[in-house]
Amino acid sequence: MKRILIIDDAATVRLYHRGILEGAGYSVTEAVNGLEALERAAEGPFDLYLVDINMPKLDGYGFLRELRAKDIPQTPAIMVSTEAADHDQQLALASGANLYLVKPSKPAQLLAHVRLLLGEGQTS
Amino acid sequence: MGLRKQSPKSSASEDERRLPRDLPGLITALSAADPMTRRWAARDLAARPESCPALIARIAVETETSVIEVILTSLTLIGDNTAVAGLIDCLRSENPMLRNAAIEAMKQLPDEVAPWMGQLLEDPDPDIRIFAVDVLESLRHPQVEDWLIGVIAQDDHVNVCATAVDLLGEVGSERAAPALQALKARFAEEPYIQFAADLALKRISAN
Repeated sequence: MKRILIIDDAATVRLYHRGILEGAGYSVTEAVNGLEALERAAEGPFDLYLVDINMPKLDGYGFLRELRAKDIPQTPAIMVSTEAADHDQQLALASGANLYLVKPSKPAQLLAHVRLLLGEGQTS
Repeated sequence: MGLRKQSPKSSASEDERRLPRDLPGLITALSAADPMTRRWAARDLAARPESCPALIARIAVETETSVIEVILTSLTLIGDNTAVAGLIDCLRSENPMLRNAAIEAMKQLPDEVAPWMGQLLEDPDPDIRIFAVDVLESLRHPQVEDWLIGVIAQDDHVNVCATAVDLLGEVGSERAAPALQALKARFAEEPYIQFAADLALKRISAN
């Protein structure tokens, strides 16, 4: 079973994404900010990270930059944020995200992104 | 063999630490090359409310995280109208670390931030309205629920409403239930709003 780490400071968002991903057969772990996510990542391995941008202590950009600076740069990451501006998307990709998803995510859209990065083909 | 006399250190950073500790000296030190000098100056300026404009000007260009944190702490300790306005300016920064730290700082100033909240929740930029709702998360103020109900009743932006719904699930009472039902009808095609509003209603009814 593929393992996904959800990193978001909003409990409702974590619960929503967990429901979608577990419903599709993935195993989910949660972290409430970038610092906790780095600890979870070190305990990993994970197959994919679902990362919010604005979080206290360490934001999503900072998490990805630190993650990518370590020896596990190949794990795919989707950055999920309320911010739709080009600047934010460019910064997300420059920080190491593979895809950028604007909130609020729809289940089919989220699963399509996840399956694409996990090499699992088209969304059913 | 005789002892070799050590030559005195004369680094730029030591010179900078010797800058005068009066207001002009501290403001000058805020622009010093050495981050430690800037950090100490920012810390000492917490006792000088008249330094707010200088602290706000510095934070806009400061790149060192530790200095940013100290400036924000000083602005929070000063906590006057100018300081709060400076913290609000930080919400418009493109630096997410600065934005998030400013949100955390504003949470420490409920009475000072409250007069600004109506204006923030009506800002033309939805990101600013989202950050304003984030500030409400732990703003101990009696108007929080009213502000959140107002947001979900009136704001057209789905993510502003989504952020407010998350919080209403934690702090809302039965008074919020009609607005949550109305929000579900207004965003009937948004699965996240349906999920979050249902969760909030469930939590409210359980309380």
